[in-house]
This record gives sequence, C-alpha cells and structure tokens, in this order.
Amino acid sequence: MAKDRSNGEDYTGPLRRLLMGVLLLCLLAIFLVWRIDSPRVERFRAQVTDALVPNLEWAMAPVTGFVNLIRDFQSYQRLSEQNRELRSELRQMQAWKEAALQLEQENARLLDLNNVRLDPRLTYITGVVLADSGSPFRQSVLLNVGARDGIMDGWATMDGIGLVGRISGVGKNTARVILLTDTTSRIPATVQPSGQVAMISGDNTAAPPVEFLENPDLVRPGDRVISSGDGGVFPAGLLIGQIAADPSGRLRVRLAADYERLEFLRVLRHHGAEPIADPSQIVKPVQVNEASDVSEAPDG
Amino acid sequence: MAEMTVSRLWLMRAAFVALCIFVMFLHLLPLDTVPRTWAGPDIIMALAFAWALRRPDYVPAITVALVMLLGDLLLQRPPGLLALLVLLGTENLKTRARALREAPFLTEWSAVALVMIAIALGNRLVLSILVVPQAAFSLGFLQMGMTILCYPFVVAFTQFVMGVRKIAPGDVDLVRRGA
Repeated sequence: MAKDRSNGEDYTGPLRRLLMGVLLLCLLAIFLVWRIDSPRVERFRAQVTDALVPNLEWAMAPVTGFVNLIRDFQSYQRLSEQNRELRSELRQMQAWKEAALQLEQENARLLDLNNVRLDPRLTYITGVVLADSGSPFRQSVLLNVGARDGIMDGWATMDGIGLVGRISGVGKNTARVILLTDTTSRIPATVQPSGQVAMISGDNTAAPPVEFLENPDLVRPGDRVISSGDGGVFPAGLLIGQIAADPSGRLRVRLAADYERLEFLRVLRHHGAEPIADPSQIVKPVQVNEASDVSEAPDG
Repeated sequence: MAEMTVSRLWLMRAAFVALCIFVMFLHLLPLDTVPRTWAGPDIIMALAFAWALRRPDYVPAITVALVMLLGDLLLQRPPGLLALLVLLGTENLKTRARALREAPFLTEWSAVALVMIAIALGNRLVLSILVVPQAAFSLGFLQMGMTILCYPFVVAFTQFVMGVRKIAPGDVDLVRRGA
C-alpha cells in the first residue's frame, strides 16, 4: 500500500508538475501565436503536412482504391435501373450535342469576326488529390504539386468542368486547396445572364449560398454562375455552377465540379490582372517641327 | 523480469503513438470530399482517456501533447487548443484513475463523458472569445456525442486487443519498477 501511494506521488511530484506546466504553456503559446500571426503558423502547418503526408501515399492510394472499389460494387446492384436511366439521358444528350456543335461553330465564327484573343497565359498544372482535410469541419484537399512545381497561393483550381477551390498553403511537394464549400471560402462571382455580381461564400454544405446580391429578383434558379475576377486574385470567367433555391427560398449554387470524386485537379497559373497605373494621356496631333511652336503657345 | 516490463512499457508507448497515427491516416484518406451533415467520433481522444485510466504510465503527458498537436496540425484544427484541453483532461483522469479503478464501468464512462463535454464546451468558448470562425454548433455537438458513445468500444478494443488492462492490486510492484 505504501508503494501504491509513492506511485501516486510520482504524478504529483514537483518535477512532474513543472514539466506539465511547461508543456501546457507551450501548447497555449502555440495556440496564441497562431491566433496572432496565423500566416506564419499556417506555413509551418503546410511544412509539417508536406513532410508527413507524401510518405503515406504508398499506403493511401491502395486503401482509397479498395474502398472506392467496394462502393462501385454496391452500385452494380442497381445496374439495370441505371442502364435505363442512362439510355434516356443519352437520348437527351444527343439533342444537346447537335445544338452544341452548331453553337460551337457559330461561336468560333463570331470570335474570329471580332478578332478576340483568349488569354494565352491561362495554362494549368494537373495534380493528384493526396488527402482530404480529415475533419468534418473543414473542406479542403491536399494536392501532390507544390512550390517545386511553381504553385502559388491564391491560384484557382478546377476539375474538368468547374471551379473547385483556391490554393491556400503551399509546401515544397504539396499544396492545400480550400474547397468552395469550406466556411472560409469567399469567391466573387457574376450571375449570367443578368450580370449581377455576388459572393459565393461556403458554409460547410454541398451547395454554398449566394450572398451580397444587389437585386435578387433578377436571378432565377438555373442561371449560370461564373467567377467575376473582381479583386484581381482570381481569373474571370471560370464556371462555378448553377443557381438553385433551397426550400427556404435562399439562393444557393449547385456546383458544376464533381465533388463526389475529386481525383485530378487543374491548378490554373494566374499572374494577376495587369493594373493600369499611368493616367491616360491627351491625344495630341503628331508633332511636326514647324507646327510645334504654334500649338504649344496658347497652352501657356 | 524488470527488463521485460521496461521493454513492454516502451513497446506500449510506441503502440499508442502508432495507433493514433493510424487513426489520423484513416481520417486523411481522400474518400469524402463532399461536406457531410454528420461528424464521426474523435477516436484519438477516446483512446487517450481509455489508456490513461488503465495504465497512466503508457501515455505520458508529453506523448498525449505531441500526438494531439500533430492531429491539430494535420486535421486542420486550430493548433494547440484541443491538444491543451485533452492534455488537461487526461491529467485530470489520471489523478482520479485510482478511485475509478475499482468502480464499475458505468462510473468510469460518466466521468469520461463529463470530461469530454467540458472539453467540447471549453473549445467552443475559447474559440468564440477569440472570434475564430467555427463550424455549426450541431456538428460539434454531434462529434462530442459520437465520441462519448464510442468510448465503450474503444475501451473494449484497448482491453481485449491491445491488452491494456487496469492494474490489479497484486501488479503494483511491476508497475513501480516499470515507471
């Protein structure tokens, strides 16, 4: 019994208590530093992730593949039902394809007529999704491309169809993409065809709400939402999704990107919109030597 | 014999760390990228409590602090806060481990549940005082409830798979030599 008591004293001994205090203070300091100087700690977090997660890739890839295989297998059970659905969808698609081909030709002709030059610098790097955020409270994925590949904070990320998110946190070999559904995501957008400007602000649901609409009456469910490029951080004209109204009447965006299966993502290289810095200059007639004296005299 | 217990002590300490890293690995698998309306339990916290109540010497404070800090960093939580709270929780449970050793499981469960509720509320309170944006209350509440509900399973795993049992009165000598 005496030994038993001394065992307990180990845990409350002065040295142990001191160590405990130091440990608690360290953790508190880390949290407070994060709150005060978040970018620096987030960079540290990116480095830790960068050092650890790529090492797990060899194990992650097969496990993920295996689980997806099981999920696919479950969907085989309703194969005939799906087949019928697909057939009817295919019929609809063929009609659309015809329309799309005609529109594409028309579009090409119009672009040619107007001499439009598409932004040539919007090239992309494709990355593979390594890991997700691992928490139900945050929505982000980790890509296997990083500073080594020239990735920079703030660049847009798409899957084949629509916008997925933006880069936030770059390590040497990895980069984190904050998805549009994350609570910290805010993307300036334009609703077509009315041209209303709005903010797409994630709230941890599958369809983020549309906020700061000037005139909601002009926006209808089914309207296309594209990024507006306001603020110069994001390239303009990337497809985000379609407007949908939830049961309470609030406008939300049904995202175009397939969030169910994020496997390969494109990171768009974007070097910011070029600012127009110098004020416009007065257009003067071409100065000819003998005319210059005459034209400048009245100006004083 | 002493050699045996010392090596077993370090083996079990390593096993705890390995188990926690495995749980984080499962969390990080890119399986669900769609926001969910439910939240899974915080298995690492439950593991730390179950081990701390059974064999406090297998989960020293530094291990709990480092594992939780790593979890905070990898799983996108505010770094340090949850680690701090869980460390306080485990230390609190360790001081009560002796009293709870003879008590029935229900008593242990309710003690652990109280600590978990305190941690969830404390986490929420600190984050809202410092105006850190946080997820919906229902989601955090759900995670806390799930953690409490899964605690008996974690205990069963700890006892029957990992072989971490409460110290019987006769075993005290071994523990003393190990610690």
